[in-house]
Amino acid sequence: MLEFLLALLTTATVAALLWPLLRMRLPARDRLSGELAIYRDQLAELEREREAGTLKAAEAAAARTEIERRMLAAGDAATGSALGTTKGTAKAARSSDAVQKWLPPALSLFVPLLALGLYLQVGRPGLPAAPFADRGTERPAPSRQMDVAGLLAEARARLAQDPNDAEALAALGEGLTLEAGGTVTQPALEALQRALPARPDDARILYYLGLHEAQSGDSKAAIARWRALEAGSPPDAPWLPMLRAEIARVAKAAGIELPPAAPPPAPSTQSPQSTTPQPSREQQEAMAQLTPEQRQQAIRSMVEGLAARLADAPQDRAGWLRLANAWKVLGENASAADAYGRADTLAPVDARILADWAEAHVRQLAPGAVPSPQAVAVLERLEKAEPRNALALFYLGVAAEAAGNKPAALQRWKTLLALLPADAPIRGMLEERIKAAGG
Amino acid sequence: MRRLLFILPLLTLALMAGFFAWSLTSGRDPASIGSVVVGRPAPKLDLPALRPGEPPLTDADLRTGKPVIVNFFASWCTPCLAEHPLFTRLREREGATIVGIAWKNKRDDALPWLKRLGDPFKLAGLDLDGKTGLDWGLSGVPETYLIDGTGIVRRHYRGPITERDLNETILPFLKGAVK
Repeated sequence: MLEFLLALLTTATVAALLWPLLRMRLPARDRLSGELAIYRDQLAELEREREAGTLKAAEAAAARTEIERRMLAAGDAATGSALGTTKGTAKAARSSDAVQKWLPPALSLFVPLLALGLYLQVGRPGLPAAPFADRGTERPAPSRQMDVAGLLAEARARLAQDPNDAEALAALGEGLTLEAGGTVTQPALEALQRALPARPDDARILYYLGLHEAQSGDSKAAIARWRALEAGSPPDAPWLPMLRAEIARVAKAAGIELPPAAPPPAPSTQSPQSTTPQPSREQQEAMAQLTPEQRQQAIRSMVEGLAARLADAPQDRAGWLRLANAWKVLGENASAADAYGRADTLAPVDARILADWAEAHVRQLAPGAVPSPQAVAVLERLEKAEPRNALALFYLGVAAEAAGNKPAALQRWKTLLALLPADAPIRGMLEERIKAAGG
Repeated sequence: MRRLLFILPLLTLALMAGFFAWSLTSGRDPASIGSVVVGRPAPKLDLPALRPGEPPLTDADLRTGKPVIVNFFASWCTPCLAEHPLFTRLREREGATIVGIAWKNKRDDALPWLKRLGDPFKLAGLDLDGKTGLDWGLSGVPETYLIDGTGIVRRHYRGPITERDLNETILPFLKGAVK
């Protein structure tokens, strides 16, 4: 809303500037008439002074001659350039006139346009306003704050029964830290240190011990501890993104150069996500601020970036699979099918990806349309790999029927019908098609 | 001459821009106001103890032949919370002697605060009216002083101590490397 008002104000201002600027005429020989007017004024004044007697007749005559000479000179100069005695000067005069006429309006348009361009580059119009009262409150999430008291009460109750309960000690350490707004206090530290011997691999204990080291000015020890934790965590551990962000934050604050992380496991066809770069925290936060349309737009631009990168490095099979998956999620099934094909030419894909690939093909079909030859090729491979795949059975049946091979179509559809559960919604449609094909 | 007058505003602008650029890049801290106590004997210390049942703090506590860290804090001060783990570590891992002084802070507020965060102070005083802080040239909390064994102030940190202070001056000072 505010942006709209500001844009409106800017437009009004520019219009108010442009209106007189564009209407302004620069008369071609304005300069001469202006000069002549001055000289005529001077002559009139001279006459008045002579009549009043303040100027002697001889002096007046001399001054008059001088003024008249200047008038003639001005006239000569003007006719000279007007006649274009030298083409260059006339051209220069014309172009300087054009500059004078168009430069101010151009500038008055250029400045707001530059501002708009800059805003589109760096601005985030979708960002909700942050009233001062709300700032800083979102850091400890409310739900988190709520359960700190519960966490502490539960931990203390368990410690009352067994003072050496490592799990409860770890919970106590975490609760005390959260209670202190994220500072690992000495009581928290003691609880964590007591819990460590029993649970030397506990991610929570290791994280908070590292946090204490970071807060107590030993960032090196904190990073070493956290990196060990990172290395010992399963690759899909839920705390890894947060842990990595913390490592980066502490390393940056302490000016420590991070040694490159351990190389990621070699990309396999089974887990195309393994090479996906983890979006940074800022990127994730920025993403969360966007409206669904903007998010879609942002995802699309990321996917297009990946596509552009793959155009330069077409040997990246995992990249092609990732791209295909992304296109499929975005509903760009033609692009997805193409990307699957690129991956397949590098090394044949397995049954699971064949199913995705075939899906990308058939999703492009209009209702009742016959699969394209490329789609049939993929479907046939899928059928070979998975003889009971519903997608392959149905669409290969469609293709066979269109090719006039009704028995083949009927055989596939009947197989499919037998596989379908009794309440499958497509049963009726399939039965009708079987009947229509003469089965 | 007239032309020069026209250039004057531009020249002023250029001078100011140059000054601001220098201020931004030279690392000068405009908030730094220096300290008058550094290099001199520590100002007078005569305070009641913060923790009940302990003897009051006197000048003799700063002249024990061993380096002492004096920290002014308050339970209402957020930076004090941020620097607190560093004192915990100095006490636990480096065995430093730390004197804490609760500045303009009621005993009923300061004691629970220390209980919650942990108490790293060998001695703790209470400067409720802030007069001792005045003698020590305190501008606010937290501020920290390093005092050598003979009672001479060697360093004065305004604001919370940081990892950098710890590594560059405090730890070497405790080992006797900084004079």
